[in-house]
Amino acid sequence: MSVYRVSYRYANSLMQLALEKGIFNKIAKDAELLFTTFSFSKELRLVLKSPLIKKSDKKNLLSKIFKKKITDETGSFLNFVVDKNREDILFEIFKEFLNLRDKKEGILRAKIISAVGLSDENKVKMKEKFEMKTNKKVLPSYVVDPNIIGGFMVEIDDTVYDASVRHQLQLLRKKFSKEINVSNN
Amino acid sequence: MAEVRPDEVSAILRKQLSGFEYEVDVYDIGTVLQVGDGIARVYGLSKVMASELVEFPNNVTGMVLNLDEDSVGCVLFGESTLIKEGDQVKRTKRVASFPVGDKLLGRVVNPLGEPVDGKGAVQFEKYMPIERKALGVIQRQPVKEPLQTGINAIDAMIPIGRGQRELIIGDRQTGKTAIAIDTIINQKYTHTEEAKKYGVKPVFCVYVAIGQKNSTIAQVVAKLEETGAMEYTTVVGAPASTPAPLQYIAPYSGATLGEFFRDNGKHALVIYDDLSKQAVAYRELSLLLRRPPGREAYPGDVFYLHSRLLERASKLSEELGGGSLTALPIIETQQGDVSAYIPTNVISITDGQIYLEPNLFNSGVRPAINVGISVSRVGGNAQIKAMKKVAGSLKLDLAQYRELEAFAKFGSDLDKSTQRTLAKGARLVELLKQGQYSPVPVEKQVLSVYVGTNNYFETVPVHDIKRFEKEFHEYVELKYSQIYENIRITKELKDDTVQVIKKAVEEFLVKFKKS
Repeated sequence: MSVYRVSYRYANSLMQLALEKGIFNKIAKDAELLFTTFSFSKELRLVLKSPLIKKSDKKNLLSKIFKKKITDETGSFLNFVVDKNREDILFEIFKEFLNLRDKKEGILRAKIISAVGLSDENKVKMKEKFEMKTNKKVLPSYVVDPNIIGGFMVEIDDTVYDASVRHQLQLLRKKFSKEINVSNN
Repeated sequence: MAEVRPDEVSAILRKQLSGFEYEVDVYDIGTVLQVGDGIARVYGLSKVMASELVEFPNNVTGMVLNLDEDSVGCVLFGESTLIKEGDQVKRTKRVASFPVGDKLLGRVVNPLGEPVDGKGAVQFEKYMPIERKALGVIQRQPVKEPLQTGINAIDAMIPIGRGQRELIIGDRQTGKTAIAIDTIINQKYTHTEEAKKYGVKPVFCVYVAIGQKNSTIAQVVAKLEETGAMEYTTVVGAPASTPAPLQYIAPYSGATLGEFFRDNGKHALVIYDDLSKQAVAYRELSLLLRRPPGREAYPGDVFYLHSRLLERASKLSEELGGGSLTALPIIETQQGDVSAYIPTNVISITDGQIYLEPNLFNSGVRPAINVGISVSRVGGNAQIKAMKKVAGSLKLDLAQYRELEAFAKFGSDLDKSTQRTLAKGARLVELLKQGQYSPVPVEKQVLSVYVGTNNYFETVPVHDIKRFEKEFHEYVELKYSQIYENIRITKELKDDTVQVIKKAVEEFLVKFKKS
């Protein structure tokens, strides 16, 4: 089975459990914490992936790192995953969990790329525009990239809204090379 | 060298710029996870369609073939070395398609419709998807018009109708492509005013070259240009150096162009040269995409690969304009082995096959058609009446000849009637020999076959047969041209015409000088 499928199963069941017990917000917070920890610590991911380290050691390690910072439910979920020999995909599971949460709460994560830093006024305007367009809550993150020369690009999931000068120039180049035929007579 | 004036250039640029609109462009992207061997795995592209074209950097295009849960498998139509992990992939929202239109005639293009003949951009009407469902029963009608190949042996005994699928099969170097090229050249007549007068509709040709040498394709194009056949022909070339995915889609592209003519009430002929190489390209692709291999390592859907292609050949009903798409697939066998996987598949799909044999070819029987095992399952209805009348006994005579030929090799004394059958057979075989690039119009074929089957050759030595035929045609042209005229108009061989032919042959036999 693909990693995607497995991580989706675990993430989905964790979410169902959280909803049942009414502690969804708490668990979501835990998930965010775990996800950021995993993504910043390569060592931790390697330890979890290593088949040489015993299950009990892994459990101890996890509880030592996250103890008191996460709820008991999340803690027991971690132990459960380790018991099932799926600790190698813990990172993917929490990634998927956060995706599911975004979907449930109607959150879209947008990456806004601009050539120069945007003013606060523009940021608000842009957020509102996209919220109107998509009918969902937009959580923007901002990146400044001078390579796009001017204008801006917004990436939401796989879709790109491209209003950059670089793209316009690319389009222009394409158009010229396609339509202009300097004939020999 | 032509001069380009700077002010002219800036005028063009200004004109182009004025039509250029500034707006936000919305597109979907993905990221390359893995690339190699002409295959790329892409993450993202969440709304992509199967067989959609996608754009990679460096002007490489690809086609989506595998839609998996968390990734998309694409085949690349360009160099995979130009693409690296992490590159951005863009959707085009266009399933693989081919530009169609009358302006494509006379051009040499690749399977994506891009020109490769250096004659500038291709003018076209629209894009049509290369994979289209074949027509159903209601939209079709039986094959009824002949497609003249100009090759006497084929038109007389293995006739091909418009809308038929006739397989040309044989080893390498047996003249498979020659038959196909001759057939294209022979369609020149259908584009003349004269043909229009006699109710023969023009046939537009598409020659799809798959996995061939570039030099061979250049040779074919040069020949077609030389004979003036390029005016009504498009060549779709996917030479051996192109990536396997392009070779795989080439026949579908050709069929799409043929369908465009058919759907506009015109007649089209598409030649797939050759499908065994296409199957090999598809096998390569399937194995790289990790689809499970089957017999001879071909994937499970290799039958469907060819059946869905050849099912697109059709004769449309009158309500839909009565257009037709004739398919002439070519298969190359190894050492005459027709029971290999691909040959048996294609034999079972097509409406008949023309077998070419190397030993016939080497003994000078050219075209090297084995008329004993070549068949045409529907073409008989499409033959003109005159040809049907004279060709019946030709098949029989040749069958008898082949049966006795084995005996004759013992050199024993044979009785009179056997000797006569043998002599007649040898003359008929000689009569059916024909040079390359020299198609014969149907009325001349009828005349030749009539003379051959009615024992007029008995006194003519075998080595004089071809000269006799040529001079006799010239003689008839001069003195009895009404014979040709009658056959062309009525398409029948009426008794009064037969009388004239008899008279002409008898006269000519006296005049003919044996060498």
